Amino acid sequence: MTSAFYDLTVSHFLILAAALFMIGVAGVLLRRNAIIVMMSIELMLNAANITILAFSRGFAGEHRAAFQGQTFALIVIAIAAAEAAVGLAIVVTVFRSRRHSDIDRLTLLKN
Amino acid sequence: MNQVVVRWLWVSIAAALVVFFVAAPGLALAAEHSAQAEVSAHTFKNSKAVAFLFWFLAAGTLGGSIFVITRRNMVTAVMGMVATFFAIAGLFLMLYASFLAVMQVLVYAGAIMVLFVFVIMILNRPEDEPWAIHGLLGKGMAAIGLLYLFKRLASILWQVKDTHGLVVEKAQLAADVVLNHADPGVAAGTKELITRSYQFGSVEGVGYTLFSNYLFPFEAVSIVLLVAVVGAIAIARPLHKEAEMADQEAP
Amino acid sequence: MITITPNDFLYLGPLGVLTLVGFLLVLAEAFTIGKHRQFLMQLTVAGCVLAMLAAIVTWRQLQPGQTISAFSGMLIADRMSMFLIALFSGTTALVAMLGSAHQSEYGWEVGEFYGLMLLATAGMAMIAMAGDLVTIFIGIETMSLAVYVMTAARRGSRGGSEGAMKYFLMGAFASGFLVYGMALLYGATGSTNLAVIRGVLAGQASSPLTVAAVFLLIVAFGFKVAAIPFHMWAPDAYEGAPTPVTGFMAAAVKTAAFAGMIRVFVFGLGGDVVPFGHIGWSTIFAIMAAITMTVGNIAALRQENVKRMLAYSSIAHAGVLLVGIVTAGIDPAGEGLSAVLFYLLSYSATTVGAFGVMVWIGNRDRERVLISDWYGLGAAKPAAALVMTIFMLSFAGIPPTGGFFAKFILFKSALMAQDGSLLWLVIIGVLNSMISIYYYLKLVMAMYFREATGEFKPLRSGALTFVLVTCGLLVMHMGMMPSRWLGYLGI
Repeated sequence: MTSAFYDLTVSHFLILAAALFMIGVAGVLLRRNAIIVMMSIELMLNAANITILAFSRGFAGEHRAAFQGQTFALIVIAIAAAEAAVGLAIVVTVFRSRRHSDIDRLTLLKN
Repeated sequence: MNQVVVRWLWVSIAAALVVFFVAAPGLALAAEHSAQAEVSAHTFKNSKAVAFLFWFLAAGTLGGSIFVITRRNMVTAVMGMVATFFAIAGLFLMLYASFLAVMQVLVYAGAIMVLFVFVIMILNRPEDEPWAIHGLLGKGMAAIGLLYLFKRLASILWQVKDTHGLVVEKAQLAADVVLNHADPGVAAGTKELITRSYQFGSVEGVGYTLFSNYLFPFEAVSIVLLVAVVGAIAIARPLHKEAEMADQEAP
Repeated sequence: MITITPNDFLYLGPLGVLTLVGFLLVLAEAFTIGKHRQFLMQLTVAGCVLAMLAAIVTWRQLQPGQTISAFSGMLIADRMSMFLIALFSGTTALVAMLGSAHQSEYGWEVGEFYGLMLLATAGMAMIAMAGDLVTIFIGIETMSLAVYVMTAARRGSRGGSEGAMKYFLMGAFASGFLVYGMALLYGATGSTNLAVIRGVLAGQASSPLTVAAVFLLIVAFGFKVAAIPFHMWAPDAYEGAPTPVTGFMAAAVKTAAFAGMIRVFVFGLGGDVVPFGHIGWSTIFAIMAAITMTVGNIAALRQENVKRMLAYSSIAHAGVLLVGIVTAGIDPAGEGLSAVLFYLLSYSATTVGAFGVMVWIGNRDRERVLISDWYGLGAAKPAAALVMTIFMLSFAGIPPTGGFFAKFILFKSALMAQDGSLLWLVIIGVLNSMISIYYYLKLVMAMYFREATGEFKPLRSGALTFVLVTCGLLVMHMGMMPSRWLGYLGI
């Protein structure tokens, strides 16, 4: 136990990222407020980024694979920003037409 | 002053204090760690201080994210999110990704979260989400399912520490075989990259990769950003009717 | 030092045309005012035709089976990618024509619409040419972000914003799975290049890490193609979006998601990566295909809204396409891949045509989206009813339409793969085709054997007529001469 506590390995970071990912998924599944759901999605993307960087750290002896990971993570951050902008614009649009942003109360389109 | 606003302010100050105490010492320690240590392949420099730093940042990350998904007040949730991002930036530093850590703070904690706060302020509906009792069974089952998945995933990831060294050698071999046959120019490029050794995680290294092997994705991201900017403006600007009505009301 | 050579730009022609015309349209929108914006649509169509020509020229220069990698393996130019780009450009051109008529009738002349549509097509072209996980991710995001916006583009429409919200949240959720799966795959193989991944995975027992990564990718792509159980966003998004955008989503976006699936699963991961059943990841896809076909068709049976019915029908078609992906995965030497591409071609033409008729039939006062709104069309407007009948027959897979041969070739290739081990799946597929005939013919019966309720006042637009005639002729031609179209695939 103590060695698992003190001897850090790639796996520590990976499992932390997996936990963060699961928390994000839980947020998407359990919450109804669109903005909180979007934040949970950001958490999932961050978990993916930690995973990429942890693997990249594990590949540090081989420069190509390692830097590939860091550049990939940079691109994920850029795209997450774009996604957040579009998502918030959609939230504003929905809010404008019905004064709330609850997913469960969007029931115009149903069987 | 409105009672809700006062409560927001208190919560924000508390969250900011949490951010400061979680992130600031962590960032300082991590930066020191990052600057001093030599990066050697597949091994971590282990000391008690580094381990404590990791657990500290891990607690910040997980605690912050659980805080985010359990808050009813959206501004509080955003503050928890900022704390989480600072902790994640600290983790990035521990992984020698100093450039990414800076980007994490600037782009995520700085830009994206400010965007969230702006939209929350525009909507100005702090607490319209009561906890639903009737869906509790489904939520409980979802939580148990996720815990089970996490356990499976964690047991897989725990084994990674023993094997990831082998993966790199295989990837190296496969890349030489595949890419050399595919295109001689590519092979020359990759050799060039290997012979130049940058300090791992340095901005030069990331920049070199970004403008050589990753040139196409780098350019393509600009298309995504253009789509986001044009699209967000196209749907979020006020309707013409609303604008006209506002004009009529103004004088 | 320089790893990018002028050679890399040689095969970038179609993608470059789409992107540049997209930029031009965004600029043109900013500098023109008022309702006289017909030229935006014309510019869009011109750009698409130009991109199509560029793709065809590139296609002719490539030999069958030849692959050229550009930008350090980020992009791959081969005949399949050029075929798909030509298909995407053609679909976009036709949808742009629908969009113009629909916009002026319903009063949502959003100038950004065309620019976003072309940039979405550029994203699809990236997916079709992707040789790297990063390119797939960027392509999918470019396409998806543009389509979320297009779904909400009809300002003031509550259905539009609601559909866009559901579509966005589910799409972004799927992107989270996609990136996390890619991250694990990168960790398992040490590379993001699909060819390298294939090289690393070939000839070794797959690690649990790879299995986890593949599961996550299956979930992500399941969301993107709206396979059951990841389909819940599709009917709402399809119903809420303006009709031309629904056509775009059902035809081009779905095709692009399948192109990404082909790149990642068939080309990147080989057949035997996941030790789950005896045919690898295909086992999961096979089960998913069976469920998707069955549930999609049964749900479509009880729809009264034509748009929603076509949404469930497109879910069912995704199930059929998954059968083709399974075939291509377990039997790379067989005809599975060309069957999938031919199916995508015929499905795109049929879908654009069917949604074209839906745009045509309604007007500002009465949009006519319910089946009961179509009563008596056969007597009042025989030509339109005939065209719609062709599309419905093609969807149902009845000869002599393109849909029949697409299904026939796809199921035949599935039967021949691995000594008939997919027989059960083919039987389910054929049974489902029979179920689907019922609800497609329900619409045909409504058109021919019921009394009209009110006078038909369809949209009058030359572009719209052109789209309907073109799609009708294409679907019939694919049914008459499938071998010629299979030759165009050239794989």
